[in-house]
Parts: sequence; structure tokens; C-alpha cells
Amino acid sequence: MTAPTLPGPAALSLQPVSRQRFGFLRELLRRPSGLFGVIILAIFTLLALVPDLLVGPLQTAVTATGPRLGPPSIEFPLGTDELGRSILNLTVHATRISMVIGLLATFITVAIGAVLGIVSGYVGGRFDALLMRIADFFLVLPTFVLAIILTAIIRDAIGTGSREIGGIRLSLLVIVVVIGITSWSSAARIIRSQTLSLKERAFVDRARVIGASSSHIMRRHILPNVVNLIVANAVLTFAGAILTETTLSFVGLGDPFQPSWGQLLEAARSTGAPGLGAWWYFVPAGASVVLVVFAFTLLGNALDDILNPKLAGRR
Amino acid sequence: MSLRYLARRLMTAAITVFLIVVLNFVLFRMMPGSPERILLGRTPNVSGEVIQATRERWGLDKPLFPDQFVAYLASTVQGDLGFSFGGGSRGRPVTDVLLQRLGPTLLLFGLGEVLAIILGLALGAYSGWRRGGILDHVGNGLSLVLYSTPYFLLGMGLLIVFATGLGWFPTFGISTVGQSYAGPLDQLGDMAWHLALPLATVALGLVGQYSILMRSSIVETLSEDYVTTARAKGLTEGRVLRSHALPNALLPTVTLIAINLGYVVAGAITVEVVFNWPGLGTLTVNALSSRDYPVLQGVFLLLSVGVVLANLIADLMYGFLDPRVRT
Amino acid sequence: MTTLSAAEIRGRRQWPLPKLADPTAPLLEVRDLKTHFRLERGWVRAVDGVSFSLADGEALGLAGESGCGKTTTALSLVRLLPSNGRIRGGSVELFGIDLVPKSERAMLRYRWREISIVFQGAMNALNPVTRVADQIAEPIRQRLGQSDKTSKRRAAELLDLVGIPRKRLGAYPHELSGGMRQRAMIAMALACDPAIVIGDEPTTALDVMVQAQILLLLEQLRRDLGLSLILITHDLSVIAETCDRVLVMYAGRVAEEGPVDRVFREPRHPYTQKLLGAFPNIHADRRTLEVIPGQPPDLVDPPVGCRFAARCPFVMPVCTEVDPPEVRLEDGVRVACHLFPPSGDAA
Ligand SMILES: Nc1ncnc2c1ncn2[C@@H]1O[C@H](COP(=O)(O)OP(=O)(O)O)[C@@H](O)[C@H]1O
Ligand SMILES: [Mg+2]
Repeated sequence: MTAPTLPGPAALSLQPVSRQRFGFLRELLRRPSGLFGVIILAIFTLLALVPDLLVGPLQTAVTATGPRLGPPSIEFPLGTDELGRSILNLTVHATRISMVIGLLATFITVAIGAVLGIVSGYVGGRFDALLMRIADFFLVLPTFVLAIILTAIIRDAIGTGSREIGGIRLSLLVIVVVIGITSWSSAARIIRSQTLSLKERAFVDRARVIGASSSHIMRRHILPNVVNLIVANAVLTFAGAILTETTLSFVGLGDPFQPSWGQLLEAARSTGAPGLGAWWYFVPAGASVVLVVFAFTLLGNALDDILNPKLAGRR
Repeated sequence: MSLRYLARRLMTAAITVFLIVVLNFVLFRMMPGSPERILLGRTPNVSGEVIQATRERWGLDKPLFPDQFVAYLASTVQGDLGFSFGGGSRGRPVTDVLLQRLGPTLLLFGLGEVLAIILGLALGAYSGWRRGGILDHVGNGLSLVLYSTPYFLLGMGLLIVFATGLGWFPTFGISTVGQSYAGPLDQLGDMAWHLALPLATVALGLVGQYSILMRSSIVETLSEDYVTTARAKGLTEGRVLRSHALPNALLPTVTLIAINLGYVVAGAITVEVVFNWPGLGTLTVNALSSRDYPVLQGVFLLLSVGVVLANLIADLMYGFLDPRVRT
Repeated sequence: MTTLSAAEIRGRRQWPLPKLADPTAPLLEVRDLKTHFRLERGWVRAVDGVSFSLADGEALGLAGESGCGKTTTALSLVRLLPSNGRIRGGSVELFGIDLVPKSERAMLRYRWREISIVFQGAMNALNPVTRVADQIAEPIRQRLGQSDKTSKRRAAELLDLVGIPRKRLGAYPHELSGGMRQRAMIAMALACDPAIVIGDEPTTALDVMVQAQILLLLEQLRRDLGLSLILITHDLSVIAETCDRVLVMYAGRVAEEGPVDRVFREPRHPYTQKLLGAFPNIHADRRTLEVIPGQPPDLVDPPVGCRFAARCPFVMPVCTEVDPPEVRLEDGVRVACHLFPPSGDAA
């Protein structure tokens, strides 16, 4: 049950930083999958940044002006929902919610994974063995059901109400944290194996000999050398986080006041849109999810190929 | 298979199951707020008797450890998971509720898995073997798109096209409501008709991942020296693939499929919601909306143990397929 | 020592020659072989105009630094190249049949039945999930159309022949030692009674004692079965002990070729001299090929003229301008070096 050991980005990390970054980006854009990923990323980032400029403020039951469950028309290019809100409006605003949740969840996941992976790999011994056991445990566990239960319990326990932190409702922040604590294990495993191989390298030995502390070595010598790996992993994690958030919202854990794509899909299903033939209700949000996850998976794989030349061409 | 291998695998599985039970206990007792509140959730109109019964049942007046934990462990081992507090199943034992829903889920996912494994491995093996060919490119792209699609979304798509649009299949349920059947065969036919779309959804949702796994495994295997040896022997490409590349490429795939199961099964239960399939997935969502925690806990336990068992089976299969482990 | 004559060797064959075979043609004749690998930055000229021949019952040693094209030459003979490799010129004639233009399908007939290969490092060359005996029996059943029982029995005989005890018949590769695996590999190579066995560094991964045993086994089998052998190694002492003729390659070309006793006693090409001079006593040190200063040239864009010029102590102006022609000297040695101009020009 060992995760694949990824060979290190040794060649890259030995080059001066500026040339490395530049060559890296060019290499990425040269691949069709990398280019596609970057373009999709740019489009959805734009949508997420300025939804109000593009489609006006988020429509509510009060501000809705359209017909109920109306098909696409000139006035409502993507039709309307059961309250008469424009699906275009909802989907663009949902982009912001989904992307932000995905981003925050990715950050937490990768942060946990990186810290645990580096410390586990560097410290080794019993601590490492125990941590990897736990990682294995999480890898096998139906983490999605765990996430459902955790979200529900935490919300019940802290009573989320309508509180917001930084413009994001607490209920959604709970989802962010839950995704983080249920999906760190694969990142931790990958980063740990990279740390293990770095630990054997000469410059770490040298640092140890001149008396650098463990935490100094981990921050100054190991971390910079696993950054590339963390980036590639984060891109793939983002795709996974979007999928998880969408699915959690779909089973009823979304927030109707800050609808994400998953929340829209849930609304479409509970309204009976598929049975009523109202394809426009769920196709835009659905297509967004698929497109973003697809693009980020391609992008992550392309990054992985560049960072791990040994695996290149196998995909 | 060596006894040591067998013993180690059984041990790992047992420890994992134990950890799951501990996790379940911790989840529901360590949370802030009174345990009754967590256990009963937001269920409205809970009578005093129910609260008292709950307190006694879980030993909530006694210390958390060891008393409560031991009580919990003992009742779990005996298959007693408490009583449902929500929706239509209120007051019924959780175990009963779970068992009633297990059949449809096993049917849907058992068949879906089998279909996806067969199709996915075949597709992946073929496209890896003909790497760079048309089918490889198309198959690879399609696999990635399927992998990027949430299961329920796939289900909604199939539903609107084949049930609502074309009317070939029913839109919900496991059988036609109010139908009387001429015979068992008739009934089975009706069920198969209802099963078709959910099954297609599950299988399609999984097939992409399995094909990606198998493809990369076969590509890796084809670059091994023993494949060159097989080619040097003058064997046909088909035979090189069948008797040398495939048996080796299957090994890592078996393990990976099993490990992914926990991830996959949980996400795939959402398919049931789309089609109103009366299995554990719809149960989970209903229990969630009524905060029926004993049932949620039970679903988690059941699915986790199921996944651990599936992993154990995969490990044993691996031991059977790979002589390096067997002896 | 009784050496079989060429006619006797061909008479001993258990299985018929290919239909088109010319009984009077030499066993193997390679002419001006060019095998290149396609990379993004151009073609790697891994083998670039190599010619040699192999007679019935003869053992030819192929020597040269790592990366000079030995393996590529061997794989070209049966056209088992990696997917980016292509034979872009020359011919490979077996019994007078040119194998280069053959279709992939037609090629199957020649693999293993005529030319078999013992690969380097037998751990990966054997399929880890199949019993060794079954891997040996496989070509007998598949290629020679023998029954299951016959092929199994024949596999057992072959294991006997290479000195693997009967009780290991059901073993998997990981249950055998490195030496045993290489013996099994040799047994497998003999399965279809081929005309030519190629050993690509067959003893490289083994320790010295086992190396000697394996070489002895090959030598014995060659004499008893009348095999023709191509032995690839970067260990010249192995060739000195086992082979009749030696072909020294450098950067995809032939540097020197001739009878072992001639080439080893009086090396003509500066590269061969360097190789041999590096260890005066061929038994003393087996890992001396890295001693020559400098690097072989980039094979995507090789220099004009002699490819060894940059590292050659005797380099002349002409060496970096004109390709050295291959010259056959009167003692049978062929050398490609401007120090040995064609006799016609000397006048
Ligand atoms: N698939 C390939 N693609 C590109 N270059 C290759 C490939 N295989 C071998 N080469 C190159 O061809 C040259 C000859 O390789 P090889 O025949 O393996 O040498 P040897 O067996 O003498 O060590 C080397 O320079 C090697 O780098
Ligand atoms: Mg070689």
C-alpha cells in the first residue's frame, strides 16, 4: 500500500531560480494540456474575480425578474430557475464561491500534507511510521462519508447561523476545513518520499554538520526543494477539492445564500429539473465543474511530467 | 500464499476496523454540546422517554472512558448500532434500516464495479498497447472527462436524455409503483429496466479511472525487459500482451482499484439520489437532512468495513496473482 | 578439441532452414548497417555503417565503451528496436536472406528460431509471474508447434543441459540466484535450436566466480551444439578467452575487426591500443575502459572525419576532414584509421 515514489526534480532545483521559472513556464505552455489548463484557469479566474461587473449582483427570490423555470431566451441566455432567477447570473456567481472554497480547501490540504510530509520524512523513526499508518488509514477510508458527518456535526456543534468571516459564510468555511482534514494523506505521502530522498543529499548533510537545527534544515533546505512538487500536487488537489465540494453541496450541505456550482446542481435536482426536461438548469453549472476539474487535472499532469521527467510520456 | 503474508494482511484489516470504530466513537462523543444533542441531532419533538432511553443505552451518565467506550464497543460488536431518530424510520434499529438498504446498493455497485473493471481494464490495456493511436487519444481524453464528472451529474445527464427525453427508461425507483407482476421473471425484468440507467451511470463514472490506471500500468510494463524477451522469442504481439504484459500490469491495478474504493464508493452513492434508488446513498442523504446521526454513523461504519474487506480481498488476490508474494 | 565443420553444423539442425535460404550463402552477413533513433533534436546515429560477417560455429566478440552501439547492433539483427529506432540503411543477410525489408509478420519466423538473445541482467529479462520452465517451454510450443507435453519435457532437458537441478523445475525467477537465472536464460535461448545466439553482456551483473561458470557453459554449448555466438561485452578479457574474432566499435562505427590473437597481439587502431594498453595483463583488471580521457562524440551531430579524432594521441589534420576508410590488411585484420591508408593510395 505504498504510494508511488516520485523521483525528485533534482535537475530543476540545481539551476538558478529565474531561469528555472522561465523555462518551466515555457515548457508548460508548449504542451497542449498545459496551455489548455492555463487558458481555462484564466477564464474562470476572471469570472470569479468580477462577477458583478459581468452579470450584476447575485439575484435572489426578491430581485428575480424572469419566468419560472423558463428555457433560454434572449433576455435570459441560460434560462431561469424555479424562482425566476437568471441561471447565467447564478452560475457566474457560483464560480466565485466554488473557486474560493476550492482554493482555500486546497491551501489547507496542501499545508497539512506538506508539514506532515516534511516532518515525517525528516524525523523518521516511530513518528514517521505512525503518521504513515494514519495516512494509509485515511487513504482507504470512505473519506466522503466522513466529510458528510464531520460537516454536519461541526455545524451543529458551533451553530453556524448567518455569520461570515471575510465575506464567506461560516457554513462554507466548515466545508473548507473538513475537506482539508479528510484529504491531506496523498499529498503527505508524496512529499514525504521526496523529503526522504532529499535527506540523503549532500547539502542537507553539510547543513547538519555545521550545526543547523532540524527546523532550520526543514524550512531552508527541504522546503525550497519540494516547492515544485507541492505546486503540482496543489493543482491536482484543487481539482479534487472542487469535486468534493460539489458533491457535498449536492447531498445538501451547500449554502443557499452563497450558492456554489454544487448547490445549484442540488437545487436543480430537488426541483426535478432532469425529470421536467429543464436541462438549462444544471448544464451550465455541471459543465463548469467538468471543465475546471478536467483542465486542472490536465494541468497537474503536465506539471508532474515536467517536474518528474522520468514519468514523461507515460500518460 | 505464505502464512506470514496472510497473517499480516488480516492483522492490518483488523486494526483498521478497530480504528474505524474508535473514530466513530470519538466523532460522536468528543464534540462540544451534550451527547444527546449530537446523538439526537435536530430531531424535533423528542420525548423525554427517548432522551432517557438514549442516556441509558449509551451509558451517558458514566465516564467517557472506559465505561462509555466499552459499552459502545460491546454493542457495536453485537451489531447493535442504536435507533434511528429521523424521517420515516424513526424508532427502528439502525441495523435493520441499514440491512434493508444494503441489498439495492450491493446490486447497483457490485454490478457497476464489475462492469467498470472489465470495461476499464480492457480499454486501458488496449489504448496503452496501441499507445499514440486514435483509440488511445480518444479514449484517454474521454477517460479524463469521465473522471472529471461527478457521478450524480452523469446520472442527471443520462436521466434527462434517456428517461425524460427519449422515454426509454423510468425516471426513478427500483420498481414500478403499484405494478402487479405476472411472475417472478416479470418482476425481475421490471427491476432490470429500473436498474439500467443507474448502473450505466456508476459504470461510466468508474470506467474512466480504471482505464487510466490500467493504461499507465500497461505502458510501464511494456517497457520492461521481459517484454523485450517475449518479443525476441518471436511471439505475436497479441501473445506478448496476453501472456507477458497483462499478467504483470494487472498487479498494481488490483491494489490501486481497491485503495480507491473508499473514495469511489462514497462519491458514487450520490447516483442513488438522482434516481431515487432505495439504497444506502439515499438513506445517507435523508439521514443527513434530518440529522439522524445514529444512521449516519451506521452508514459510515458499514461502508468503511466494506471497503476494508474489499481491500483485504484485493490483497489476497494479489498474493494469489504474484508468486513473489505467494511464496 | 573437435570442431565441427560448417556443413556438419548445418546438417545437425533439428528444424528446417527458412524456405528462401541459400545453403551456400554465409550464415550472417551484415553490410553497412545504419540504425538511428529519432529524438526531438534529430536522429541519434547509434549504428552508422557497420559491416561484419559470422560463419557457422564461429564466436564473434563485440567490444567497445558503453553507448557505442553494441546493443543496437544486436537488436537490429532481429529488428527488435525501441519504437523510435529505425534501420535507415544497409542489409542483414541470414542464409542469404535480407531481413531488413521483411514485414514485421515475416520477421517473427526468424526470431528465436534462427537468432536468439541472452539479455543482460536476467532478473528483468525473465517474466516474474511465470515459472521458469514454462517460459522455456513457451517458444517450443508456440514457435515449433510442439505439444504441451513435448515442450515441457524439452524444457526440462534444457534445464539439465545448462546445469539447473531437476527439483528447481517449478521455480519462479525470484527463487533462483543470479547465476541460475542466467543459466535459465541460456536454456531459453537454446529452446528452438537457433543458428545464432547473441549474448548481450550476459555476465555483467554476476560476481566473478559465477561469470566464469557462465562463460564456460557458453563455450561448452557452442562446441557441443555447433552454435554461432555473438558475445557483446565491454570486458575484453572475456572476448580473449571465448571468441574467435573480435569487432571493436567506437561511436557507432567499426574501429577494428579481426582474429582475436591478431588484434590482441598487435592492435592497429589507436582506440584498440588504448583499450588494450589500459590493461597490459588482460586478467589483471576488468574495469579499465573508462581510463581513456575524453568523451565519445554526440551521435546526433557527429564530427566530420574520424569519430575518435578528438581523443586520439596520433591525430593528423586529415582525421578531422575525411572519414577513414576501412582497410583489410594481409593478416585478415580490418581497420578504419588514417594511419593505415588503402594500399592503392600509398603508391
Ligand atoms: N531508444 C533510444 N533513443 C535514443 N537514443 C538511444 C536509444 N537507445 C539507445 N540510444 C543511444 O544509442 C547509442 C547506442 O546505445 P547502445 O546500443 O545501447 O550502446 P551499448 O550497448 O554499446 O552500450 C547510445 O548513445 C544511446 O544513448
Ligand atoms: Mg548495451
